[in-house]
Amino acid sequence: MSVSEPKGAAFQASADLRRGGGISRETTNAIIVFGLSILLILGSRFVSPALGSWSQVLTVLMLASFLIVLSFGQGLVILVGGLDLSIPAVITLGGVLATGWAGGGGDWYVLPAILAICGLVGAFNGFGVTVLKIPPFIMTMATSIILASAALGYTSGTPRGASPAAMTALMKTTWVGIPVVVYFVLLFVLAGWLLQSRTVFGRKLYAIGANDQAARVAGVAIGPVTTQAYVVSAICAGFVGMMLVGYANGATLRMGDNYLLPSIAAVVIGGSSILGGRGSFIGTVGGAVLLTTLGTVIAAIGLEQGWRTVIEGGIIVAALFFMREEFFARLRRPKRS
Amino acid sequence: MSASAVQPLERNGGGRKSNWVRALTSGAAIVTLLYVVLYALYALWEPRALSSYTFTNLINNAAPLAIAAAGETLVVLSRGFDLSVAGVVSLTNVFMAVWPMEGPGGALISLLGCCAIGAVVGTVNGWLVAVLRLQTIAATLGTMIVCQGLALVILDAPGGMVADWVSYELTGTLFGVVPIAGLIIAAVALLWLVFLRTNTGIGIYAVGADEQAAMLSGVSVTRVRFAAFVGAGMLYGVAGFMLSAQTATGNPNAGAPFLMLVFAAVALGGTSLSGGRGGLIGSIVGAGCLMLLQKVLFSGGVSSFYTGIFQGFVLILAILFGRFMPRLFNAGAKK
Repeated sequence: MSVSEPKGAAFQASADLRRGGGISRETTNAIIVFGLSILLILGSRFVSPALGSWSQVLTVLMLASFLIVLSFGQGLVILVGGLDLSIPAVITLGGVLATGWAGGGGDWYVLPAILAICGLVGAFNGFGVTVLKIPPFIMTMATSIILASAALGYTSGTPRGASPAAMTALMKTTWVGIPVVVYFVLLFVLAGWLLQSRTVFGRKLYAIGANDQAARVAGVAIGPVTTQAYVVSAICAGFVGMMLVGYANGATLRMGDNYLLPSIAAVVIGGSSILGGRGSFIGTVGGAVLLTTLGTVIAAIGLEQGWRTVIEGGIIVAALFFMREEFFARLRRPKRS
Repeated sequence: MSASAVQPLERNGGGRKSNWVRALTSGAAIVTLLYVVLYALYALWEPRALSSYTFTNLINNAAPLAIAAAGETLVVLSRGFDLSVAGVVSLTNVFMAVWPMEGPGGALISLLGCCAIGAVVGTVNGWLVAVLRLQTIAATLGTMIVCQGLALVILDAPGGMVADWVSYELTGTLFGVVPIAGLIIAAVALLWLVFLRTNTGIGIYAVGADEQAAMLSGVSVTRVRFAAFVGAGMLYGVAGFMLSAQTATGNPNAGAPFLMLVFAAVALGGTSLSGGRGGLIGSIVGAGCLMLLQKVLFSGGVSSFYTGIFQGFVLILAILFGRFMPRLFNAGAKK
């Protein structure tokens, strides 16, 4: 590494990384994470013959669907240089409202209405971040604390009711031998990728994350666009709450707790910069699939919980380590305005 | 006090303002004011609040979070996020509960052990971030999960007993009035003031404010960042030690609640989450405010179901207030 290189490059949002050929780097990154997932599934055959089968792949995709939907929203927020810590609370909100208002059946408009409420929560986050200029970390954490408390008060501690019929259908039925949710997730990934990489909205998000001053000069309405990212994130989280309700046939107040860190980890492992402006949704999907695969394989090893957790953490660090070389190959190119 | 030591680095352009205005509008001063206001409210609703017993309890409750927030401040100042705090606190808590050592000598060995655990984790973080240049939030997420796992390996369910000496003496008072936990917090603050005089101490601000400029001015970015993570790790170790003294038992998930609260305390204390501005003492008082707020809400008769709603809004208001105060004073100074 030459001396003239900016040492802190890892910490600086780098617009320049996107200049020419940025897609190929992202593609490489995505290939690495998907490759690691496939290796893990194949390798798991050595652990247990029951693993590595087609049905395990389907299980992984089904379990990964929660994380994929979540980390799409989280990814958009991270892309604009923010962070959404309110995800667990919004998941709980979505789940609690879905069971409370539409338990068992429900009119067609109830679920969209719940998503709209979740969207309002996202708008509140966006308002705090863009208008009040509160750091995203603090704003979304405050929202999370407020919502969790409201959900606790609303349910008096015990959420009641069953899954709405539509969500049970999504999570529990199969079509041509494949769970319906897998089709849904494939469509979601396609739509998400189009939105992030092939629309004006997506390009604006990249522009804001890379350099918000430049984006402003270029005529991007920073406030509204950033707020939209938070709204999308909250809607995704609310929908995951409903999916979880459909999967487990009920809501709990802590149902979202285990999804915050994985949602960030999936985005970062997928090759996005935590500081924004760089990354692709396909990479994030790879990160989500890798994390989920890891979880299922480790769960099957039969080690005690503690060692499984140690291995999980170790693999996250290792995955980051693998990304690193790729990262630096790009950094070595002359750049930076 | 602390505030003035930090200021020269914080604002180069503000030379015309008098020192007391700067001191009054610093993050530490504002959060201290918040603490006083909260305490007054507490005293209003809870007459016992002014007794030495209640005060000692408050300090004991706040000590683990305060020291952990102090550690996190080092990393945040150098422009990073350290999630390993949750892992280290869990790990040291479990260490204290599974291998209790009696007497003052045992307590000292335990404390050194906790510091050593924190230092090892901090070294790993420092290596991942400063040398390998991984993103801080992701690398420390990894080490946090590993530490949580190790804590589970050592103790798979809540249990164990912390040494009696530690749990009695460290939560007690000196001469019946001075809380021991308060002395330990003061020691951390004092160490910080000394650290501020060193090149590494100044370097943390320089690196956090502008890494390239710091490097060009001859600051060893790698060394500074490394030092920040190791120092932070050791403070998390002390935080785990104090938590064990307070809870007197082990819990492999003891550190989990710290993850969010630590950042809230740091931000409340006036440290910029994007690095380079703030100080450790503000974070300590910020942690105190967060813990005090719970008591105030409880004594004010807010149902425990809804305390979170107040906490969230107070957090937002405190941040806004911290930003608004300096502007108010600046406007006044210009007239």
